[in-house]
Amino acid sequence: MADLLPLVSFFINSSASIQLSPIQSELSLIWHAYCRDNYKISISSFVDQVSRINEITKGCFWKDLDSINSECALEYINIDKLVDLEEFLKVEDDNDPNRTNSLMDIDQTSPLPSYSAEDFFHMLNKPMNPPLNALEILITKPTARKELTISKMKVKWPKRQFAEVCRNNSHVHTLSNIFGNGGDQISKLRGKVSSTIYQCTLKNVHYLPIITNYTDISLGDCSYLDTCHRMKTCRYLHYYTLNASQCDDVKNDNLSKKFYLDCIANEYTLGDCLLEYKRAVLPPQWISCDVRQIPFSILGKFAVIISDPAWDIHMSLPYGTCKDVELLSLPMNELQDEGIILLWVTGRSIETGRKALTSWGYTISDEIIWVKLNQLRRTIVTGRTGHWLNHSKEHLLVGVKGGNLPWLNRLVDSSIVVSSTRETSRKPDEIYQIVERIVGKHARKLELFGRDHNIRPGWFTIGNQVSGVSIYEEEVRIKYEEYKKLTDRKKRL
Amino acid sequence: MIKVEPKSNYKRIDAKASPSIGLCTNSDFTDNYIHTGSPPISHVENSVNPLEGYPKLQKLRQLKSKQVADHATRPFGCRRKPDQIIPTVEKWIVENKLQFDVIMIGALADNQFIYPFLSQLPLHKLCSKPGFLFIWASTQKIRELTKLLNSEYWGKKFRRSEELVFVPLKKNSAYYPKTEFHHDDSSVPLFERQQWHCWMCITGTVRRSSDYHLIHCNIDTDLQMESITPERESNHENNAIPENLYRVVENFSNSNRRLHIIPSYLGINMPVRLRPGWVILSPDCIMDNFNPDKYQSELLRKSTIKSRSSSNGSPHYLVPQTDEIDELRPKSPPPSGNRRRND
Repeated sequence: MADLLPLVSFFINSSASIQLSPIQSELSLIWHAYCRDNYKISISSFVDQVSRINEITKGCFWKDLDSINSECALEYINIDKLVDLEEFLKVEDDNDPNRTNSLMDIDQTSPLPSYSAEDFFHMLNKPMNPPLNALEILITKPTARKELTISKMKVKWPKRQFAEVCRNNSHVHTLSNIFGNGGDQISKLRGKVSSTIYQCTLKNVHYLPIITNYTDISLGDCSYLDTCHRMKTCRYLHYYTLNASQCDDVKNDNLSKKFYLDCIANEYTLGDCLLEYKRAVLPPQWISCDVRQIPFSILGKFAVIISDPAWDIHMSLPYGTCKDVELLSLPMNELQDEGIILLWVTGRSIETGRKALTSWGYTISDEIIWVKLNQLRRTIVTGRTGHWLNHSKEHLLVGVKGGNLPWLNRLVDSSIVVSSTRETSRKPDEIYQIVERIVGKHARKLELFGRDHNIRPGWFTIGNQVSGVSIYEEEVRIKYEEYKKLTDRKKRL
Repeated sequence: MIKVEPKSNYKRIDAKASPSIGLCTNSDFTDNYIHTGSPPISHVENSVNPLEGYPKLQKLRQLKSKQVADHATRPFGCRRKPDQIIPTVEKWIVENKLQFDVIMIGALADNQFIYPFLSQLPLHKLCSKPGFLFIWASTQKIRELTKLLNSEYWGKKFRRSEELVFVPLKKNSAYYPKTEFHHDDSSVPLFERQQWHCWMCITGTVRRSSDYHLIHCNIDTDLQMESITPERESNHENNAIPENLYRVVENFSNSNRRLHIIPSYLGINMPVRLRPGWVILSPDCIMDNFNPDKYQSELLRKSTIKSRSSSNGSPHYLVPQTDEIDELRPKSPPPSGNRRRND
């Protein structure tokens, strides 16, 4: 029985490490580790010893296990029982006059234990899979910084209501019968439908087919759906959107909880402003001007620039376009020393845009794809939207300037933005949240070629399609007034 | 003097600046991703059947895939080590006078050296005119192709016409791009990468309105989502290129001569499966059954042969089209006014 002593000691000394990855309590791997510590033993006798220890201690590894083989993994390690056993064995060992210290048997000159043929085959059959896998897990595992950033974003950006689409045809059928009869108030639903359906309308979105005298169901859905101009006479199918009526937003009505969340969300971290929650976001600012004319030097430097230029894509469009050369020659270096730029591109201009970013001194780090959805949350597949193939996405190039920027929050959002289409060339508002998560709410943010609907708090919007001028930042205001005076004087001359 | 009066403007702007909450009621997929980790694309309703709601298009798709299947050559594979791929292609060109109208290059894999490979491949000899290239690469690698476009040889011969994107639906998908190891912060991407890109290039002249025997436009879209049906989820079959990507090519070009080159090993988790109607040249091919003479005689048997309008060059090997297909396919509107230059 004394031959068990080295193994028992081994289990006591390395109990922590053998339960962790990559060994994860697997017997065959524990055996490897045991052999590495210069104990010469074959796998079969190793398994046999482990099983004897378990038997003697009445379950220090497994509660009840019929047979043990090398494929097994330890359930747990009961250190107390093992320590008891070790003490008992030590006493017995000392009392044994003919004792042979098993440690002395080992040929200390050989660096590796010699394996029997059986061991060798065992190793062949079970290659280094667990350790390799462990390596992949280690590499692909999100870093602590990423996890921290994401959990911080969760607190900083209160969850908005989100509802799935109900795909139960009987729900849709029942509901469209009620709504078809003119009752278009959700409050009237209660009592008219079963409680399952009623509960479903609170949580999920339903699309109810609108069937008029003109509708020909066999034709299928209208390509334009809710944006159809001839909705009343269109022969294709249209739908009424019944939004989920119950708001399950995280309500911060509990003041102390809100205060607590504010505190943890705004605890100072790398890249944040100190006392961020006490600082108000600047009101929206904008200047109506020709982006190609205005001297960028009056605007100052920005952490982020969004630009949606009217690319000249050789098509007749309802708005004026910009020549490639004019865009490429914009003095972008005056607007940014370090930070990120987001450039909307389409068709031919994807390549022009990539060239432009590089020539302005940016490295293209990412490409956001906007997947365009219609009313029914489906991708847009019809309507000859492209030349060779239909287009159901748009590209937003993202460039970074200034090398390694520690203040950017990386890897928070997905590079795929899924959002509904709106008016021609209007881009999804989700982009603003995404950007604010990367650079922070208080960073200076500029939008070039903006329109009235792009104006928003914290952002500076310039373009010839915004109306008027509004500037809060004193320095920009003084510089703008000087510039204006100068141009007025030139005009008078 | 100019007037800069923020105070008086403020009220008007407040109303104006409020983000259009009404429009994204219930469906802010981006916000939902932050809080639940569920990828925005997984909430798209038509990922299983992209044509849901459009019976006419579904019918067209069915008819076309039947036509393609009926006239497809048997699946051919040609297994060559990576360094033998270019010599093999050169041999085909010189000894067998082989040409293809559709050439797909690459797979949904990170370890492709696409630029060096493409700059060595004698594509202008391998690809007929008009011909179509589909080059798949990661978001990072696709940018190297800009270099190709700017180069003397490529820029003149091939025009970049569309950029396709393939998006995996879930994080555990076989097509989800691998997390790269970043040695410093500046190489860490800003966003979670979830996309593959494909350049569609055209060589020679082809017109959307009049060459409908060669191409059918606007059948598929430039965005392809991974299709996970409930029954396939349990027995998920992955491939070097998902099936729907081959289908986009088959629906677009009516040519029967299709080649797919995968220039590098893809590893055990991404098998290269053969496909009827295609010759696949890759170090990972399961079968190595390609014989140029056999292929050409089978092509002759299976295709409709149409001589080219220009005197030089081999004839077109086409998948014949039916009247029903022609009736259903999306068509260019009749030329008029300023629309004309788009077609």
